[in-house]
Amino acid sequence: MYGIHDLAALRCYSALSRLTNRFVVRRLIQAVPTVLGIVLLGFVLVHAAPGDPVLALAGENGDAAYYEFMRERFGLDRSLPEQLLTYFTRVASGDMGVSYVQGRSTVALIAERVPATLLLTTSALTIAVLVSIPLGALAARRPHGARDVGINATVLVVYSAPSFWLAQLAILLIALKLGIVPVQGMTTAGSAASGIGHILDVARHLALPAIVLSLQELAALVRLTRSGLIDELHRDHIRTARAKGLSESRVLLRHALPRAALPAITVIGARAGQLIAGTVVIEIVFGWPGIGRLMLASIQTRDTPLLLTLFMTIALTVVLANLITDLIHGILDPRIRVS
Amino acid sequence: MRLCTGLVMAHALGALACAPEASDDRPFVAAITSDPGQLNTAITTNGGVHTAAGVLYDGLVELDLDLNPVPALARSWEIENDGALYRFHLRRDVRWHDGKPFTAADVKFTFDELLLKFHSRTRASLAPALERIDTPDAFTVEFVLRRPYAPLLQQLNVEEAPIMPRHVFATGDPLRNPANTAPVGTGPYRFVSYTSGSEIRYAANETYFRGAPAIANVVLRVIPDPAVQVIALEAGEVDWLFGVPGPERNRLRQDRRFVVEQSPGYSGGSNCVSTLALNLDNPVFQDIRLRRAVAHAIDRQQVVERVLFGEGRVADAPISSGIRFAHASGLPVPSLDTAAASRLLSEAGWQRRANNVRTSGNVRGVRDGTPLTVRFVTMPGQTQYGDLLRAQLRVVGIDLRITTMESAVFSETVFKARDFDTAIISYCNGTDPEIGVRRQYVSSSIGPVPFSNAAAYSNSEMDSLFDAAASAIVVEKRTSLYRRIQELAVRDQPYVWLAETLSTRAHSARCTGFTISPHFVATARCRD
Repeated sequence: MYGIHDLAALRCYSALSRLTNRFVVRRLIQAVPTVLGIVLLGFVLVHAAPGDPVLALAGENGDAAYYEFMRERFGLDRSLPEQLLTYFTRVASGDMGVSYVQGRSTVALIAERVPATLLLTTSALTIAVLVSIPLGALAARRPHGARDVGINATVLVVYSAPSFWLAQLAILLIALKLGIVPVQGMTTAGSAASGIGHILDVARHLALPAIVLSLQELAALVRLTRSGLIDELHRDHIRTARAKGLSESRVLLRHALPRAALPAITVIGARAGQLIAGTVVIEIVFGWPGIGRLMLASIQTRDTPLLLTLFMTIALTVVLANLITDLIHGILDPRIRVS
Repeated sequence: MRLCTGLVMAHALGALACAPEASDDRPFVAAITSDPGQLNTAITTNGGVHTAAGVLYDGLVELDLDLNPVPALARSWEIENDGALYRFHLRRDVRWHDGKPFTAADVKFTFDELLLKFHSRTRASLAPALERIDTPDAFTVEFVLRRPYAPLLQQLNVEEAPIMPRHVFATGDPLRNPANTAPVGTGPYRFVSYTSGSEIRYAANETYFRGAPAIANVVLRVIPDPAVQVIALEAGEVDWLFGVPGPERNRLRQDRRFVVEQSPGYSGGSNCVSTLALNLDNPVFQDIRLRRAVAHAIDRQQVVERVLFGEGRVADAPISSGIRFAHASGLPVPSLDTAAASRLLSEAGWQRRANNVRTSGNVRGVRDGTPLTVRFVTMPGQTQYGDLLRAQLRVVGIDLRITTMESAVFSETVFKARDFDTAIISYCNGTDPEIGVRRQYVSSSIGPVPFSNAAAYSNSEMDSLFDAAASAIVVEKRTSLYRRIQELAVRDQPYVWLAETLSTRAHSARCTGFTISPHFVATARCRD
């Protein structure tokens, strides 16, 4: 048993290290213009959109002198190309700027929130993958059978339901009526728990938002796994495997599933950006302290420095997610590794 | 990966089995809608920051329910030179949360370096009137004004002028001071911790000059969705809500576990009057008959019932009844009268065939045959106003075209670009007409400032009346001047005053003794 595991690990490791050289370096070089382009586009869009950060910041009843004073402080009195130049010079020297509203470094503000979003999205993805593959396999076993139709219909309904509605429904039914999990937040208010107690507290709060966020992904993945498996199960190598007398579950899990999973994994990687967009709604409804809410607030207050650093963070995340997708591809499909 | 998944699953399962931890000193939890970002109320008028951080600070005075000043950090004061000099005697027993003594130098510093620079409302109202602040000794502060100035005391409470520690802010840029997220104040609660996007924790100030609050720990919990705030209250995760959405209010009222209260105050704005501004730059609204017709066409009781869900009352004067000495009663404010509205419109040259939208015939500045279409710009939170007003104005043949825009864009469109015909603006009158009413009517506040003179109403008599009212020290004199101001406003009708809005607060019935001040929880107690 040990031997097999070691071997598998070794195979993974060597594949990874070879891939690392090729993919990672190339991808990271490619990422630089992508991220810069996104930030430039973000800068132009934010400034082209109507809405003045100083008006948004001042709220009620300032006077003209106050607005002028604040504009000067933020450098908003200068021309747009000048502002752009200042911004990129600063970014090049590693200074991502200070939030207009909060007066603190944008990097620090985002860093405080990233762990929450990362925890939520990776949990949701994990749930989606763990549930969708068996469901997809069940559906694929007898296409157009009762089970297949049932699974398909359920998944379609879940996929079509707006996530804010699903989220509120889940809160009302599961958190309020049944009282199994808390209604909102990431920890119990004022909780002094630490260590394992803290982890349990977070897990209780995580369950509902992660499940609701996973539902959208789940729906897409079930359908992909199902169709991938149906295709796969008609191929020659599966017939061979069956002819060798392998059990149906072994055929499904060892021979069909890894190949059928490829399109699903591509989709997961490509949807990383969308998943982050989806967390905005979930974070608001569940009061989850992630970057989605930070982004919404920074748009509403026209907090340009914070917004641009957020754009950059998300762009990097998407690039990274795609990179990981490619690496996983390489492991699952030997043909990609060889080429 | 496999190991990690296993762990997550194990945690999830374990967690489901565990009940919430029982704790003896359960904190009092209040829900707030937005993450305040920072907690220094002297450098912003943002309502979210004031709601979250009000308990940390004190003003020189507090205002009672009738808006009369009562002692706070100042134990007494006298007014001299016909109201051009205010001398405050400070308490000598006040300490900052870090143990340092509070003195007159803190007051002078707070005004000179924080409030008069960064608190937009105090800066706008006080800076033009104030000559300087003197500190003759460590516990005396003198405000020397350029001219007699009546409403000073109403602008020295904790919302308009929270006092900050000089020793903390003396060096560096106050907007980037680390104390903005780990503040030091004199208030009934002291800062413990701030978790971005999640919660802020406070503990009772054991050495508070009025005595330590009964509730030892307070948590302000960020819950962005108002509907979820209500559910969290019902689930017992939260003890206090600063606002309750209309449809949920009755549900909470009928539940004996909760107390639902209405008050005219909000943090960062009180005595608010929901107002329909008519843009006088538009030739159509330069005709007083049109402005009156709109006022007669609106059923304001319906506004209170359907838009505010009863959270308010029909406005019977331009100034809120919350400012008792200034509110005028018995004014001829136009009420619902669609026949009168139709007559006025016809007289003004807007004719109607059958039930269609009226069109112009012989209206000055308007080409004949132009339909009476009025652009109504609105923010997402106010769309019900648009829907109701559209239906009501259609009855008399006015076509309201609704454009919804995000609030940052709304401010810019209405106050800077002035690209609108009508808009709903909530004018918070505050504690004195000088703070929140003046800006709505004087000609000098037409311009790119949010919540200023949206109608672009300009009348030199009105301007001088406001100046006279600001420098009249005797209350009776001010009352009669504000009456004249309101008569003029009703005569010229640059706005339609729809409703005085209220705010609803809800809390667990387990706790009692709250006030409507920013120190709301300091006087409260909870049963177990």
